[in-house]
Amino acid sequence: MSFSVLLVEDDSELRETLQEALQVEGYRVYAAVSVAQATLFINHPPGGVLDLVLLDLGLPDGDGSLLLAQLRRQTALPVLMISTQEAERSKVTLLDAGADDYLVKPFSIGELLARMRVALRHRGIASMAALTRYSAGDVRIDLKAHRVEKAGALVHLTPTEFNLLARLVRNAGQVVTHRQLLSEVWGPEFCDHTHYLRLYMAQLRSKLERNSAAPTLLHTETGVGYRLQEATEQD
Amino acid sequence: MNKIIPALPAASLFARQWPGLLLWALGWVCMLLLDGRLGLSSLAMLLVLTAALAAVWLRLQWSLLLGLMAVLAFNWLFVEPRGTFAIDLQQDAILLLVMLAVSVLVATLMSALRDYALQVERQALAITDLRDFGEVLRDADSALDCLPQLQQLLMDATATDVTILALKEALPAEDDMTQVVLLPATLLPNETDKRTEREQLSGLWHCLRSGHALGPGSGRYQTLVDRYLPLRGRHAHYGAVLLHGNNGVSSESFNSEAMMQAQALCDQLGTALERQHWQQQQELSGQRAKELTLRATLLTAIAHDYRTPLATILGAASTLNEQDDRLNHHQRQQLAQRIVDESTRLRQLTNNILQLARLDAHGVQLQCDWQSAEELVGSVVQRFSQAQRIQLALAPHLPLLWCDALLVSQLLDNLLENACKYSPAASPIQISVRSEARAVLLAVRDAGPGIPEALQQIIFQPFRQGEALALGVDAARRAGVGLGLALCRSVASVHGGELRLHSSPRGTCFEFLLPHKPQPVPPAAIASHSENGN
Repeated sequence: MSFSVLLVEDDSELRETLQEALQVEGYRVYAAVSVAQATLFINHPPGGVLDLVLLDLGLPDGDGSLLLAQLRRQTALPVLMISTQEAERSKVTLLDAGADDYLVKPFSIGELLARMRVALRHRGIASMAALTRYSAGDVRIDLKAHRVEKAGALVHLTPTEFNLLARLVRNAGQVVTHRQLLSEVWGPEFCDHTHYLRLYMAQLRSKLERNSAAPTLLHTETGVGYRLQEATEQD
Repeated sequence: MNKIIPALPAASLFARQWPGLLLWALGWVCMLLLDGRLGLSSLAMLLVLTAALAAVWLRLQWSLLLGLMAVLAFNWLFVEPRGTFAIDLQQDAILLLVMLAVSVLVATLMSALRDYALQVERQALAITDLRDFGEVLRDADSALDCLPQLQQLLMDATATDVTILALKEALPAEDDMTQVVLLPATLLPNETDKRTEREQLSGLWHCLRSGHALGPGSGRYQTLVDRYLPLRGRHAHYGAVLLHGNNGVSSESFNSEAMMQAQALCDQLGTALERQHWQQQQELSGQRAKELTLRATLLTAIAHDYRTPLATILGAASTLNEQDDRLNHHQRQQLAQRIVDESTRLRQLTNNILQLARLDAHGVQLQCDWQSAEELVGSVVQRFSQAQRIQLALAPHLPLLWCDALLVSQLLDNLLENACKYSPAASPIQISVRSEARAVLLAVRDAGPGIPEALQQIIFQPFRQGEALALGVDAARRAGVGLGLALCRSVASVHGGELRLHSSPRGTCFEFLLPHKPQPVPPAAIASHSENGN
């Protein structure tokens, strides 16, 4: 089965390039050039259903973030934001507003496809039972059993470390913002205590990574948040 | 009579005239003693001599009075018949008349001479004052620093209290006290009357704007109590001076020497302020011109930096486009890879330019937060294309850094890029982080041939391509990355830090020093957690 993707991008060159590349990968692509046109597609999807939205921030008749807010009120449809370097600071705002992920122009097709795969997989998970098992490299995590293994050996985590890791596992492959992590692990009043994250992430890395300065599992998204490496095997 | 030196008290009046009075007394003693031994005409000569000598010290009216009295007394005492004012002989009458005439003449001459001498002395003093003030002005960093000296000189010259209002910069459209310096800062304390103060201030502003002297004797606003003098330049006015009329010296004409001297002093300051004003204008326009040149050079440099990767991309893309059927798979792959690589370079260049423009703009907003050095370095290295060349040397237990993560990553990116470009392929690049006394030091060290001394300053400046070209082709290539290094330096400075360069023929090391900040309070449970955790 092929997925339907709504691509909202006003620059014709980039739109056509992306459209072609996505079609080559087997996606059905609907292209919109404005907020108005995109709204139309969202309300009346040509193929009956949409699976994912690629949304550019700066559109001729309005800001993409408005469309994101509107989408989030209506559906749980995965949304990938495409932003420019100047809008980099707003990445966090977009993620906190419910975007699934973001890409900064210019980006490579490989990057885009990877992000789309993760977003689509999470959509599938959201409709099924929540992911409770995770495995990447030599690390295995069983959230239900509160069990973390590295190279077959049990790793002991403190409750806070475990909660933090569990939050990342639930969005494996996707970036989770500092704010999301802090408010869900410590509580909303700790939203600006970024240093908690620095300290706990360092502890987690020292327990799970071979070299914590060159992490393969717990990636830093500078200025935004953290991203757990996408799972290599699905249980 | 004396217009500069104000009326003196009686005691000092006597003090200046006592030699004259003493001479008269001495003269009379001599005449009385010599009476009978000398003839009448000799005694008369003695009196005339006394009168002439005494006139040197005595004021004119005193000389005349004493001279007249002396002639009358001479008549009474020595002229026959003695004891009366009657005169027997005609020649005695002539003698008395001549005596009187000579006394009057001598007294008048002496007085005129003394006045003249005094005037010369005053003028010399005034000129000295002007010259000294000129020197003070010349030596001062700002003419505004000389206001206290002017105030003192004006007080000396006019014997009134003085208030000065001087413009800091150009004349504002509205009377705005923030644009001027007022000395003393408030109008004199004894003038508590608010209305007077308002009037005086508006008088100062009016005088400044009109450039005319105001107040009694000036022909303008004659009914005012105070006098106002403008600080005049050649083309405009730069302030005004208020001579307070509250101590009774207000009736003099503006043409009096004192006022002329006061105006000359004011004009001297006015001219100095004007000169300073023009100098500032000149510097400002010079700076603008320099900025424009820099901008033009920057645009040229940017265009140049863009052209190389663009040429590669265009070449590769057009080859793919036009000669596709003659290329094998491997060649196509290589061309595509080249396009990707060069596009990445362009992306980096664009990011640098944007960030540099943002940092140079005023009021840049840093998004500082607590960052871990390990994470910052780690994520930069992970993104880096030649990560396998990089050796990390991170000291244990590094403090958290208070910085803008995006900017510091960009700084590290640029330093890595630079190290890569200018050291032999596959030679190691070391990133080290350690905590020093005042700062955390992040260093990027390469094993390249080093940077020539002549280039070490130039490479930090984004616009110096031309100068680098003069130093050789390699230098010019270096200058191409100057944009990146200029950004690094900007990032360091907006963080209150420093970017240092050590270069030798064995390698180059860029050091970024980020000042220590008091560390945040860690979560309460972290200590016990980490104990449990192990």
